[in-house]
Amino acid sequence: MVNIMLEVNDEKYQVSVAPYETLVDVLRDRLGLLEVKKGCDEGGCGACTVLVSGKAIYSCLMLAVQAEGKVITTVRGLVKDGKLHSLQENFIKCGAIQCGYCTPGMVLAGKAFLDENPQPSEGEVRQAISGNMCRCTGYQQIVEAIIATATEDR
Amino acid sequence: MRRGKDLFRPKEYVKPSSVAEAIKLLVHYGEKARLIAGGTDLLVEKDPQIEVIIDVAGLGLNYIKTDSRGIKIGAATTFAAIEASPALGKSPYGILGEAAHLMGTPQIRNVATIGGNICSAVPSADSPPALLALAATLVIAGPTGERTMNIADFFLDARKNALNRGELVAEIQLPTLPARMVATFVKKGRLAAADLAVVNGAVSLIRTTGGLCEDVRIALGAVAPIPLRTKKAEAMLQGKKPNEDLLRKVADCAASEIKPISDVRGSAEYRRALSRVLVERMLMDVVASVSG
Repeated sequence: MVNIMLEVNDEKYQVSVAPYETLVDVLRDRLGLLEVKKGCDEGGCGACTVLVSGKAIYSCLMLAVQAEGKVITTVRGLVKDGKLHSLQENFIKCGAIQCGYCTPGMVLAGKAFLDENPQPSEGEVRQAISGNMCRCTGYQQIVEAIIATATEDR
Repeated sequence: MRRGKDLFRPKEYVKPSSVAEAIKLLVHYGEKARLIAGGTDLLVEKDPQIEVIIDVAGLGLNYIKTDSRGIKIGAATTFAAIEASPALGKSPYGILGEAAHLMGTPQIRNVATIGGNICSAVPSADSPPALLALAATLVIAGPTGERTMNIADFFLDARKNALNRGELVAEIQLPTLPARMVATFVKKGRLAAADLAVVNGAVSLIRTTGGLCEDVRIALGAVAPIPLRTKKAEAMLQGKKPNEDLLRKVADCAASEIKPISDVRGSAEYRRALSRVLVERMLMDVVASVSG
């Protein structure tokens, strides 16, 4: 076991982990951050997406030890002073949430994308979420929510 | 495809502070150790044999440098960086940028490295066909020093590369390529994104001022145990002026040189038929992209 420090959503956590424990398992099982979903555990569905240094990554394909010293953001970290981020508001407004399981990963993929691409085309938005699967919505409302956020921020 | 992922229980994770230290660790642990850079192949495979994980992501092997001799890419450079690189977006190097863009998904590209992709030696890897078409050389660092290797010699079999004990790939070098070289890359999967190639490939060639095809390279992946160049097909086009009939024959020949298998993504027959079509299309593309 190794003692590591993980910085998640502006909070520092000391945690003892085995070398083989993935970030998704440590975030969920050790830190209780259940907003990080585990859909496939093999980098195929995107539900486990979190931001590491502002970039969207699959937390099931990263060892917790690899994430030490990096700034980690889960979807919970987008909420400031009890207020939802405009992207989260738009997911609600556009009906982009049905079962909700893909939502944390989708929101973070969208957030990371908009931070680098504030004026995207629809095609670019679809590319940006190509690593996140949704079984409910058919993606249209999710794309609209991301575009609406880009439009508002202009 | 699970391989008893619960059996993946490495005992140690080490972060060496230099390439030399990483090499010492590899020599010491041999088969029991595995390098991790991005980890997006290692953590899907979760090989139970791994006892020690050696992290090389922070050893300064993350760069794209252009100089008079071409472009040098550190082995730990992510596909996201390659995709975004202006140097690797310009013809003919742009096929590597294109391959990077089509690899995996945005989340995978943010961590997956070109060195890891090459060293995995999976037949369907997306960077090898582009690297074969761009005449890439690998710089391999090991206990006896550095050596270089043509990318074509690096793949020995499915998931088997030419590294000896204690060696790692440090850098990928692309030579300065002639201005008259044109190239193209293609990847066909079942899905538009986030899928392994059913067939991927790249073509590069130089059109002389007389309209002849020189230095023809036709590379295909996911259709043989290793990514490969179809040499007989290349020879058919070498030194010739291209026309539709000839390009069709070249594509037929290329499709006869491969050894596809049937798997969950497609049958061998489909792969062979698709390879023929893609080679013909790629040849027509590069020929059309040069006017006169």
